[in-house]
Order: sequence, then C-alpha cells, then structure tokens
Amino acid sequence: MAKIDLSNISHTYNPKDLEPTYALNPFSMTWENGKRYAILGPSGCGKTTMLNIVSGLIKPTQGRILFDNDDVTSQKTETRNISQVFQFPVIYNTMSVYDNLAFPLKCRDFEKNKIEERVQSVSETLNLSSFLNMPARKLTADQKQLISLGRGLVREDVAAVLMDEPLTVIDPDLKFRLRRNLKEINEEYKTTLVYVTHDQNEAMTFADNIIVMDQGEIVQVGLPKDLFERPKTTFVGYFIGSPAMNLFESQLHTDNSVKINDTTIKTNTNLSKLKNDNIKLGIRSEFVKVAKDESENLVEVNIQKIEDFGNFKLLTTKMGQLTIKSKINREIEIANDKVKLHFPPEKCCVYQNNKLI
Amino acid sequence: MEKLYKFLKYTFIILWTVFIVAPFLWAISTSFKDFQSVNSKVTYIPWLDFEPTLEGWRVLIKSPARGGVDIVEPYFNSLFVTCTASLISIVLGTLAAYALSRFTFKAGFVRNNDITFFFISQRIMPPIVLSIPFFIFLSTIGLLDSLIGLVVVYIVLLMPIAVWIMVDFFNRVPKELDETALIDGCNPYQAFYKVVLPNSIPGLIVAGMFCIIFGWIDFFFAFILTFTEVQLLPVKVVALNSSITPWWSLSASALISVAPLIIVAFVVERYLSKGNLSGALK
Repeated sequence: MAKIDLSNISHTYNPKDLEPTYALNPFSMTWENGKRYAILGPSGCGKTTMLNIVSGLIKPTQGRILFDNDDVTSQKTETRNISQVFQFPVIYNTMSVYDNLAFPLKCRDFEKNKIEERVQSVSETLNLSSFLNMPARKLTADQKQLISLGRGLVREDVAAVLMDEPLTVIDPDLKFRLRRNLKEINEEYKTTLVYVTHDQNEAMTFADNIIVMDQGEIVQVGLPKDLFERPKTTFVGYFIGSPAMNLFESQLHTDNSVKINDTTIKTNTNLSKLKNDNIKLGIRSEFVKVAKDESENLVEVNIQKIEDFGNFKLLTTKMGQLTIKSKINREIEIANDKVKLHFPPEKCCVYQNNKLI
Repeated sequence: MEKLYKFLKYTFIILWTVFIVAPFLWAISTSFKDFQSVNSKVTYIPWLDFEPTLEGWRVLIKSPARGGVDIVEPYFNSLFVTCTASLISIVLGTLAAYALSRFTFKAGFVRNNDITFFFISQRIMPPIVLSIPFFIFLSTIGLLDSLIGLVVVYIVLLMPIAVWIMVDFFNRVPKELDETALIDGCNPYQAFYKVVLPNSIPGLIVAGMFCIIFGWIDFFFAFILTFTEVQLLPVKVVALNSSITPWWSLSASALISVAPLIIVAFVVERYLSKGNLSGALK
C-alpha cells in the first residue's frame, strides 16, 4: 500500500549502442494508493518493461522510482515489498500448494499463525482450499496460475500487486469471477493493483484508470469513458473499441467543420487555428446512426454488409472508397442498398498529425 | 496387421534382452567355474555341466601374500575418487552453469557460449594429449600416485560434463522462476538454493550419473598417473590378466565392478518412474 511515483523513467536494452532503441521513452506518472490501473497496449509496446522496472527486475536507464516518496530506484527486488504475477504460471514444483502460497510470507519471517490465516483466506478467494496439501505440480495449468496469483495476493502490506496478463491461461467463466475477486480485494485491502493486458474489455471492466501504450510511449491515461469517447490519438481510437474507431482523411472547411470527400461534417471543435494538413475525422461506430429527421452531418452510403451480433447489428458501408462502420439497434430494418447515416457533431473527434485537437 | 506388429515388437524386445543379459549370465556362470570347467569343454549349467566353486571370488579378497589379488582396496579407492570428484564437479559445475545461464559475461570477444564451449572443449582432446601435462603437473605438486592427485584430475575431466548438462538444464528453467523468488523476498542466493536448485534435481541426477559413470570406468588416467602406492579398480582388473587368463576371477571382478553402476541405474530409474522428476517443469 503505497503511492508509486515514476519520475522521468526511460529504458533501453542496448544503452551502449550509438543509437540505442528505447523500449520505454521518458515518462512520468503517479500511481495513487489503492487504485486499480490497467496498462493496455499491443505486444512489445513496453508494458512488461514498465512492470519490471517497478518491481526492480530491471534498473531503468534513466529516472527515479519513489514508493511513498522514498527513492527505491537502486533497491533490489527482494527488499521492495512488491508482488508480481507473470503471464504464465510460475510455481515451485517441489512444494505443496500450501507451501507455494506461504512462501512469500515465510521468506519474510511472518509468524506461523499469520501465515496460516493468510493462506487460508487467499485459498478460499481463489477456490484452492481443497488442493492445499497437493503437490503444486499436479494441478492443471489454470489452477497453477491461481497459485501464482495467490502468491501475489498473500501479503497484505505490499506496495502494489503487479499483474502481467495474469488471466491469459484461465477459462472465461473463471476469468470473470477472478476479475471481480480482484476488485473486491482491492476495495477491501486498498491494495494498489496494476494490471497489464492487451484485452481492452478486461482493461475497461477492471480498472479505474487505463494507461494506453504504443511503441514505448504512453499515449493516453484516463478513465475508460474518456478513452472510448475522446481518444487522444488515432492509435487509441483504433486500438480501443470493437470495431475500431472510424477514421477519415479530411479537409478543413470552416471554423468548426471539415469535409470528407464532398460531404461537410460539423464538429464541436474549434478548428480556426489549424493548418489544412493531415487532418482526420474520427467517430465511433456506436455513435454513427441511421438518419431519421436530422438535416445536417448526413452521409449517404452504400451498404456492403449487415451482421447481426444478437444484441446489435453492425453495418459495413461504403462512401466512395471510404468504409464506415455503424453499430445500430437490431430492431432497425434496412430495406435499401443506400442509406443516410448521421454523425452527431458532439461525438466527432478531429485529429491533426494523429493527435486530438 | 496389429498382431504382426505385436509379434515383431516382442521378438525384438526378447532378442534385445538376450543380447543385454546373456553376457552377464555368462560372466556369472564363469565366475563359479574352475580351470577345468573353463578350458576343457564348453559348460553351461552348474551342478550338471560343472561343479561350482567360489575360488574365483575368493581370490579377489585374499591378500597377494596368500596367493590372492586383493581388489578390495582398489575398489574403495575407486569409490572414493569417483564419488569425491563427482561431488565436487557437480557442486562447482552447477554453480558455474547457473552463472552461465543467468548472467551475461563479456570479455573481449568472449561471451557465455564461448565459456561453455571452453569447458566442453576440455573433453574434445584425446586423453593421450592431456596425459603428459597432467603427469608433469601432478609430479610438480607432489601428488603423483596419490588419491588426491587422481581426484584433481578427475574433477578436470568430470566438471565439463556437469557444466554442459546443467547449462542446458538451467536454460530450460524459466527465468521467471528466479524472478518470482526474488519478488517473494529471497535474495539471489536463496532463490538459487530454495527454488531453482530443488527444481533442477532431474538435471543434477543426470549430471551426477554421467560423472559417476565416466569417473568409475576411466582406465587411462588411473593407469598413467599411479604406480605402486595407489591403484584403482579398472587398473587392478586389467592386471589380473596374466599368462594364463583367470577367466573365473576376471568374471567375478567384472561383475562387482559393474555392480555400483547397476545399483545407481535402478535407484534413478525408480525415482524417475515415480514421476518426481519427469515433467517437473512445465
């Protein structure tokens, strides 16, 4: 339980090269005590590097890490009081399930009663109670991962629990329940949880705050709602949401409108100070609706495909060369090949050089 | 088709078993024969073909003064040298292998793989090439014809095997295991002996087995580096052969020199089949 400050951190794995390539570009960030964070990004974007820096497995090339204002940058992992769960189950094969769960406490010389109590509590949360006396190596892959998770959660006093895609090998039903359990643990013990994932749904449902990363860069930190409605870069718009955000090359038109091909789209953004260079308009497929009686921001499109997902329909349409996707209510019947779509101005995001205006 | 397959399979197994077991049976039967039973005509079955005698075995424990050859002392010498050298090789080799597997070394153009190869390269040379340097080395430090001298030489021979097997083994132990141990509060030494080492028992056993086998069967260095003070078993067994080959005591000595290896094989096999070792890392 601690506030974690990452101050001007950057990291490269080849610092001696003439032009080192950075796995993490310089950034600063604070993780508040007791909150849940999700780090979201594609493979190889620096998520794991960031976790390893916080846990001390990697010493950052530059920058400082503070736990409750104490500089721990040069402290070794074993003295940092952090716990980390890896993507694949890491268990101590030669020990029983109980000994696996008790190991972090034994290493720190906890009293026997306390160890017993904590192991019982964690094993109940994770449904491992009936396996406690079994050799850990005899369990299935997802049970093994539960042991890893249990070892991460068994200490109450940790500064933070870092989880590197911990639920990848767990089946969906249990995954859902475990995410809820993690939330409960966080609410009860006020443990700071940091959760790395490349699954946006997992991130959205789990975290208070989401950190989106791309190519060693932190592109946006914010609430799930902000990331969804106002993605700061086209990458976030593309990466978050399914289907990805609709993005169109556009031209500036007036102070608050742009042109896509010949269609004028009004936005709520002040565009007066922009140059007409590399402008894109973005809108979520959730906000693109079939026009009823709107008079502006209408786009005439040809329907390519209608997919019924049960709870919604996904329209794939074409305006010239541009593809526009729209999630619509499944009750709406589309009779023609041609249809008019409406872009609500307040939901339109304008990007210059892929950055939100 | 399936029957044919089964038939061929069992035929092969039976042939193979005969191939492996027959020499042992022959040696056992020969060890109970006397001069007459070996040299006059081929005999097979005790009490029917020949009268069994313990003479072949007795010779081995009689002192030379009473007409025996006494392989008891060389036997224990061999046990001591093999076990001590294997143990030291395993301890040093495992530590070296762990370092080579987990840390990155750079010295000029030399990298981890080069260091590992350097260890193995000690076994590439034919033993005869090493014999003169070893001889001069041991005579300089006054350890020629001594057990300690042999232990030193055997460590040189066995440690590469231990390093080679253990580097490969540690490379297959995920690094996350060490990292998890660090996160759980172990220092790097505790992580090694509390977590990594217990997980590496299969590797240790394999390395140990190889060290014991190679140490136990070595004849060449035991022959070159000892004279009168100290003798190891293989040298003594070969020395049994005189103008008239005593096949009976030669068979008996062959059997008891193979015995420790058979015991090791059975123990390890049992341990392996219990499932304690197989699949320990997945």
